[in-house]
Amino acid sequence: MTTSLRFLLFACLLLPLLWGCYPKGAEYTDELDLVYTNYASGFNFTSLKTYSIPDSVVKITGDVINDPDHNGEPSFLPPSSAKVIIDQVKQNMNSYGWTLVDKNNKPDVTILASTMTTTNIYYYYDWWYWGWYYPGYNPGWGWYYPGYYPPYVTGYRSGSVFMQMIDNTSKPWTADNAPVVWACILNGLAEGGSANIAARTQINIDQAFTQSPYLKH
Amino acid sequence: MKYIILSAITLLCGINLYSQGSFIMSYPIGFPMGNLHDYISKTSYRGINLEFLKTAKPGVSVGLETGWNVFYEKADKQPYTDGTKTITGISYRYTNAVPILAESKWYPMHETKTTNPYVGIGVGTLFVSRSTDFGLYRITTDSWQFCVRPEAGVLFSIEPGLKAMLGAKYYPGFNTSKLDGQGFLSINVGFVFSSL
Repeated sequence: MTTSLRFLLFACLLLPLLWGCYPKGAEYTDELDLVYTNYASGFNFTSLKTYSIPDSVVKITGDVINDPDHNGEPSFLPPSSAKVIIDQVKQNMNSYGWTLVDKNNKPDVTILASTMTTTNIYYYYDWWYWGWYYPGYNPGWGWYYPGYYPPYVTGYRSGSVFMQMIDNTSKPWTADNAPVVWACILNGLAEGGSANIAARTQINIDQAFTQSPYLKH
Repeated sequence: MKYIILSAITLLCGINLYSQGSFIMSYPIGFPMGNLHDYISKTSYRGINLEFLKTAKPGVSVGLETGWNVFYEKADKQPYTDGTKTITGISYRYTNAVPILAESKWYPMHETKTTNPYVGIGVGTLFVSRSTDFGLYRITTDSWQFCVRPEAGVLFSIEPGLKAMLGAKYYPGFNTSKLDGQGFLSINVGFVFSSL
């Protein structure tokens, strides 16, 4: 065998190594986190001062609206998990100059937080989920997003935290719809320990407010 | 399995052409240019380049070229805004570029010299597959772009039938409806295996 042929064979044997050095991408769960925000263009957030937020976070269990335990309430996140979300939202809202008030004290806006871990969902689930917080409103009501499209999430093995900011100052709502003037989705892998998920959730809620400077007073 | 088949085909093609003309196997270092540079600025050290040439007349050879260049960059966590929408995350950007070209090389000096410069041109297509991993989602765009590729380099004789090569090639892809023209410059080092 000539020297040149030996070179050729050696070079060809190196070919499979190419596949071994193909770049691998994300290594840690937090590298897959996304923070999405959108808002009603032209809406004057700084003219509003007060907000309210429920103490519970709704757990959306599917596209079908049902009430398996017939108690008139949806499923909720465990209080410890909900507290992580609620406290972080309050902290950010307060630092942006908003004042927390009780839901009965005519808040200018209401922030509703929910989560889901299913695969596909339009962020357009039924108002029914919030009947426990807004007694007296028609369960057939939905949402509308003035001037922008409702967010849509599709994913696989993913978890999402949704936040909607409802404008209460435009009441009475006439079209069986509540106006959502700010919407946010945190999306990522719903994997890792609860401490890890909690820490990522807090970081991502902070990011949601950082990228929404129009909320700041 | 895929790479075993590809390796076997490459080996067989190489040996087959090796017996009739010359076969060049080189390692390309790719430098993104233009639109590709806007997307990925990092130099590519992943790739391979293969050329199969026959002598058309003294000092001129014609043949085919193919190869594979992998460009990759991790873009740090940053917000992307479009109108009222803002989305923040880390993106992982990949571009695979595969040239498939007909080519010709011209060797202006006598082959008896130890060092021989050459220039060449290739015409054909540059297959570009761009993928962006963002969160749990992947966006992929594939495009076949027209490409006219100039090159220049030097051959160094090692022994009869074997030369080393050092050259530069520029691959400017043309715009398509799916993707703007992607281009890169590659510095190639490799070996030329010729029939005696």
